[in-house]
Parts: sequence; structure tokens; C-alpha cells
Amino acid sequence: MRITQNMLATNMLRNLTNSYDKMGTLQDQLATGKKINRPSDDPVVAMKGVSYRDSLMQIDQFKRNFGEAYNWVENSDSALDKATQALQRIRELAVQASNDTYDATQRDAINQEVVQLKEQLVQLGNTKFGEKYLFNGTDTLSQPIDLAATPPKVSTNTNPVKLELSKGVYIQVNADPTKVFTLDNSTNPPSGLFGDIDQLITKLSDPNSTGDDINDSLKQLDGHIQNVTYARSELGARMNRVELMENRIDEQQVIANKVLSDNEDADMEKVITDLKVQESVMRAAMGVGARIIQPSLMDFLR
Amino acid sequence: MTSTFHGLETARRGLVTQQNALYVTGHNISNANTPGFSRQRVNFVQTEPYPAAAMNRPQIPGQMGTGVEAGSIQRVRESFLDYQYQGENNKLGYWSSRATSLSKMESIMNEPSEDGLSAVMGQFWQSLQDLSVYPENQGTRSVVLERGQAVVDTFHYLHDSLTSIKDDLGNEVSVGLRDINSILKKIGDINESIASVEPHGYLPNDLYDERDNLVDQLSEYVNIKVEKVSSGGNSLDIAEGKYNIKLLDASGKDTGVFLVNGADYSQMGFQGGDDKIAYNPSGSIEKGDLKLFDAKGEVKLKDLSLVDDNGAMNFSQGKLRGLIESYGYKTYDASGTETGEKGIYPDMLDNLDKLAFTFGNVFNAVQKEGYGLPGTAKADNFFNLGSLSTSNYKGASSSIQMADLLPEQIAASTIEDNAGDGTNAINMSNIQGWELSSTTPKELEGLSATLNLPSLSAIGNGTMKSFYEGMIGKLGVDAQQANRLQNNSQTLRQSVDENRQSVSSVSLDEEMTNMIKFQAAYNAAARNITIIDEMLDKIINGLGTGGR
Repeated sequence: MRITQNMLATNMLRNLTNSYDKMGTLQDQLATGKKINRPSDDPVVAMKGVSYRDSLMQIDQFKRNFGEAYNWVENSDSALDKATQALQRIRELAVQASNDTYDATQRDAINQEVVQLKEQLVQLGNTKFGEKYLFNGTDTLSQPIDLAATPPKVSTNTNPVKLELSKGVYIQVNADPTKVFTLDNSTNPPSGLFGDIDQLITKLSDPNSTGDDINDSLKQLDGHIQNVTYARSELGARMNRVELMENRIDEQQVIANKVLSDNEDADMEKVITDLKVQESVMRAAMGVGARIIQPSLMDFLR
Repeated sequence: MTSTFHGLETARRGLVTQQNALYVTGHNISNANTPGFSRQRVNFVQTEPYPAAAMNRPQIPGQMGTGVEAGSIQRVRESFLDYQYQGENNKLGYWSSRATSLSKMESIMNEPSEDGLSAVMGQFWQSLQDLSVYPENQGTRSVVLERGQAVVDTFHYLHDSLTSIKDDLGNEVSVGLRDINSILKKIGDINESIASVEPHGYLPNDLYDERDNLVDQLSEYVNIKVEKVSSGGNSLDIAEGKYNIKLLDASGKDTGVFLVNGADYSQMGFQGGDDKIAYNPSGSIEKGDLKLFDAKGEVKLKDLSLVDDNGAMNFSQGKLRGLIESYGYKTYDASGTETGEKGIYPDMLDNLDKLAFTFGNVFNAVQKEGYGLPGTAKADNFFNLGSLSTSNYKGASSSIQMADLLPEQIAASTIEDNAGDGTNAINMSNIQGWELSSTTPKELEGLSATLNLPSLSAIGNGTMKSFYEGMIGKLGVDAQQANRLQNNSQTLRQSVDENRQSVSSVSLDEEMTNMIKFQAAYNAAARNITIIDEMLDKIINGLGTGGR
């Protein structure tokens, strides 16, 4: 094949351009840390990239949701813990008062304390976390308990507050208020937690009531204490489940990150090595070019 | 008997011819870097020997050579390689125009990245998850509105950017047509000049080069077939003649359309007013839009076939077709009814419209099932899609807007007046993963209402997410293919070009060698004259002087 100066020059230019092009690609990979910068570099990687990023975003979001789940469960639990203490105290007082040796003033003192404890229970039932009431089901913006109203109002909202903590898994994070802070106006006298305490208060302030009358309230109180304990244990069990799920999501996050990275991150050692190799190839190309272009027959004729 | 001065004449011919050869060498060296120049060579021929064979020839022992003359000056070129080059150049034109337009599209779609449509949508879904956790919070609600606006803005941005590049492609089609027409005119003119030179027995080498260069350029735009027709008269056998250029169709078959016929040339373009040629495509290009005009750009000669009756593209391969495919053209079914618009940009815009419409429509449907904060009316649309419908979703990506919604009206809740319920927000955040073709009604979490997804979506199968991934995947595959074939045809063209250069390009070393060769021959011929001169001197001045 006949080779001319022009061909050599064109060839060299082409080789240099190719070389620069490869350097450019490697530089892109180094600067971005990514194997690909546009879908055509590798359509499969690009497509998977879109999907993996999405999963990762979702996992990040679920992790964020866990914070609020803990808020709900922990705050509800601590309110119910205080409610148990208050109920225990009422029970103690009722046991004391059922002792027929107590005189009217002593009973009155006990009565005063029970009234205060009832108020405390109302306050606990109206516990707010941030702007929301914890014990009004999903109706979190209205106050669940208002005994001063006529008729007295106590939450009847049984709707669970559910959070999505994992794809398609909805976890209830609140305690059902109708199982804890109750008042049943349909019976006479009203029953339920506040009804029963009211009955106890009535008995305590009635000089004619005997120790046996007051004793009757103990059984009801025991029932309510059990309800609260039950609600707490339910919260605890759910808390366990949430923790387990969080662990799993944590693992998923690591895996998803790894998958994403495997898919599109550049292998730095390889890229740097390639860049070095490419650099020396380019030097060689330039050196060869410099040698080839210069001499011609003219340099040797006369 | 040969003439006394025979030797002088022979040597003179040598002088003149070697001198000519040196001039041609000079021409070659001067044009060493001229694009399209093929080196020229002087075809030396021996002149008629003496005596010519005839009845009354002088009786001498044999025929005597009478020297040399420059028979013709011919360019060194192989037309078969030109043919190969044009074929590869044609493919390169097609694939590189596709690769360029796809690469622009890739830059606009900007995937995979932290700021493409999928990321913006991801943030929107995230904000809805946040809303499901804090449904009573006005702040979270405002974030949802802002994120929704960002999605809408992204759809608008993508639509606008794609449309403006589509318009640019339309301009490029028009620039391409002007370029083609100017090339056709030049070829016609050169044909005319060549036809007036060749019959005199000359070879207009520089015109040949120029014409081949133009044919090379034309081959980038459309696939052509060149036929050579003799100019007649005293044309040499090695004369190239006139070029008749025919247009080939998509499969490389002759369409019978003459782009150049001797000195006549056609012009390509769209039909304008008064049967005049126009260059700008209006809207998408239709079947009979591309026409062939005469040299004056007036009378329509023929429709150029763009798509066949089955709606398949059958226009000649090349850059022009690549541009038209990127820009968009209408397709037809077997009965000739229009079936829609096809092309790289129209397809992407169509998919974007489908996605935007389905996204907005399904989202609205879910939003309308839920309830806002207590005190707000039953939920209304979240996005405003105007009068678009499942069958008429065109333009959704540009017309989708946020409805005029207050933060408290976002229907996060499935139960009326229950601020703390975020179940419908979860429903909303999960929309992108719903199988849209499923005929079983979609049950919404926390609601008794169900949705008939196929009736709400303009996307056939799969989920919104997989649809978008498919869009990106297809773009990637198309662009990759275009890049690969661009590279391949570039390599092939280069290798053909190298072969061509190997034949035609000027080697300075070679010319230097020739120069020395011709110089030496010239010197020798001159010396020959001196010798003959001395001989004549002897005859004229030295003879017959005996005894002087």
C-alpha cells in the first residue's frame, strides 16, 4: 500500500483524537465516580439505576417513618404507665377507705385525692405529642376527653393510626382509647373508667356507704388496671415488631446501597490504572507523531 | 533516409515533455494538501516512428523512434473506491445524525441522576409518605404541594426542551435540503463544463475532482447511484463523461428519480405556495410532503416517497432521513389512513404525555376518594389536566398544572374529620407501583372505594415506574446502537478513504523522486542536443575543408 505524508498526518490526528476521547471518558468516570454518565453508555445499568435509586429512596423514607412510630409508641406507653400508677393509687385509696374504721374526715381526704387522680387521668387521656392528641384514634386534632361537657365527652374513635414502615406493611402505632379511657353514659349510673371512678367518689362522699360498698369498686378498678396493662403490653409487642422491622430496613438499606454502588459506581483502581495506561499510550502516540511527520526525502537531498 | 535534424527534434521533444512532467509535478506538490485533489500524471507516449509503414517508404534498416510527447494528463483515481466511500459515507450520515439527536435527548432526560424526572417524582412520593406520618401538619402538606409543583415543572421543562430540540431538527432538515440543492446545482453546472471540454480531447481533471468531492458530500445526505455518460465528440477513452445521479430508496433500489441528469438538475423541498419550493417542514412531515422541483424551484416534478402504504419509512438512507426520523413523520395503515406520528422526538414526547396524563389522572382519582383536614370540603383534583382524557392525552406533559389546592385540602385521610389518619397519603405515595393494566379493581387501603386503573391510564402494561424505566432503557439502547453504528461506519469510511488516499493522494517523497527523474531526463535531453550540435558542427564547419 502506498502511504503518503497526508495519510500519516491524518492517521496521527485520528489516533490522538481517539486517545483524547478515551481519556475524556476515564476522566468523566473519575470525576463522577460513576461507570456511566448517560443511558447509552450502558442501557441496562441506566435502567437498573433508575429502579435501584427508587428503592433506596423508599427505604430512606421508611427509616424516616420509624422515628414517628417510636414517638407514638413510646409516648403512648409512658402516658399509660402513668395512668396505671394513678389507677393503682386509686385502688390503694379504695382499699384504705373500704376499711370501716375510717371516719368522715379521713374519707373526705381520700376522696379529695381520688378526685385529683381522676383529673390526672383526664390529663393523661388528653396527652399531646406535638400538635396531636395521642388518645383519640385518628382524630388527633380534637381533645378526646372533656368531662365538663354535657354529655361528658370521651373518645369513641377506634380508627387505628397506621404508618407504612415497609413496603405494604401498615403498623398501628396508637393505643385504642376506647379500651382504656372509657365512659359509658348508657348505663345508670354511667360506667366505664370515669363512670366507675365517679361512682367511687360518690360512695366516698356518701356518709352512709359502707366498706363493702367501696369494696365493690375494687373489682371494677382491677378490671380497668388490667385494660391499661393490656393496652401497654400490646404497645410493647408492637414496639418489638417495629424494632425488628427497623433492623431489617437497616440491612436492606445497606444492601440497596451496595447494589446501587455495584451497578453504577466506577471501580476507582481500575479507572486510575486505565487512565495511567491511556496517558502513556497518548505520550507514545504523540512521540511517534513527532518523529514521523518531520523527515521527508527533502531533508536528505542536497 | 532520416533527416539530418532528426536527432535535434527527438531531443527537443524530450525536453518539452520532461518539462511538462515537471510542471505537473509542481501542480501535484502545490495541491498536496488540497481536499479532494487526486495526483495527476503525464502519460508519456512515443511519437510515431519513422518511417511509417507505407508503400513508398524509404528503404532503411528499421523504424527509428522519433521521441516522446505528453499523450494526456490523467488523474490517478479508482472510481470503485469512490463508490465504496459513498456507500459508507451515506451510512455514517444516517447514524451520526441519529446519534447526535439521541445524545441531545439523553442530556435532557438526565438519567440516571439525582435531578432527573425519576428523582423529582421520588421526592414527591417521599413527601406523601411524610404526609402519611404527619397528616395534621400544615408544613408537611405545603411540602407535598411544593413537590407536586416540582414534578409539574419537570414535566414542563422536559416537554419544552424536547420540543425546542425537535424544532431545531426541523431547521436542520431545512438547512440540509438547501445544502443538497446547492450541491445538485453545482454538480449540474460542472457536468455542463465538463461536457464542453471533453469533446476536444482534453481531460478536465480539476473539474473531475471537484465533482467527485460534491458527490461525496451529496452521498452523506441521500443514497445515490452515479452513472457516467460520455460527452461525445473527440472525447478520450479515459474521459469520465457526465454524471447522471439517481436517488435510491431505503433498501438501496433505484427509484428512477434523477437528481442530476447531465446539465439538468432537480431540487428537493417541501411544497410552498404557487407550487414554489419551500424548505421548512410545517408540523410533522407527511407522506407527499417531500417533492422534487425543477432547477428553477418552480414546477413540481414528482413526490418523493417518504413512507410506504404500511407506514414504514422508505426514504433513501442518509443524513436527511436521519433528521426526518428524529424530527418526526406521519404514518399510515394499509388502507392509507393516518395512524399517528413517529420519530425519535415525537415518540419520547408521546411517552412523556402518557406518563404525565396517567400520573395526574390516577393521582386525582385517589385524592378524590379521600378527605382533607376537618372543615374542608370533600377532596377535589390535585392536578389540573384540563379536558384531556385517556384516549386524548396528547400534550399532557405541557398542560398538566397543579389545581388551586390549599394545603389542608390534600386528601391524606380516608375518614372524614379525622386529621390523624394518613392512610390515603400512603395510597397516593404508592401509585407509581400499581399495575395499570390489571382488570381487577384496585382496592385502596382504608377505603371501600376501588379504582378501575385501565380506564384511568394512558399507559398499557406495567406500572408508571416500569414505564418510565422502559422509556429510559429504550433511549439508552437506541442511542447505544446509533453510537455503535456511527463508530462502525466511521471506521469503515476511514478505511475506504485510506485506500482512496493510497491511490490518489500526493506523496512528497514520490514527487521529489519524480522531480529528480524528470530533471535528469531533461538534462540528458539537453546534453543530447549539445552532442547533436557538435555533430552538426562537424558536418557543417568541419567537413569539406581539406587542404585549407
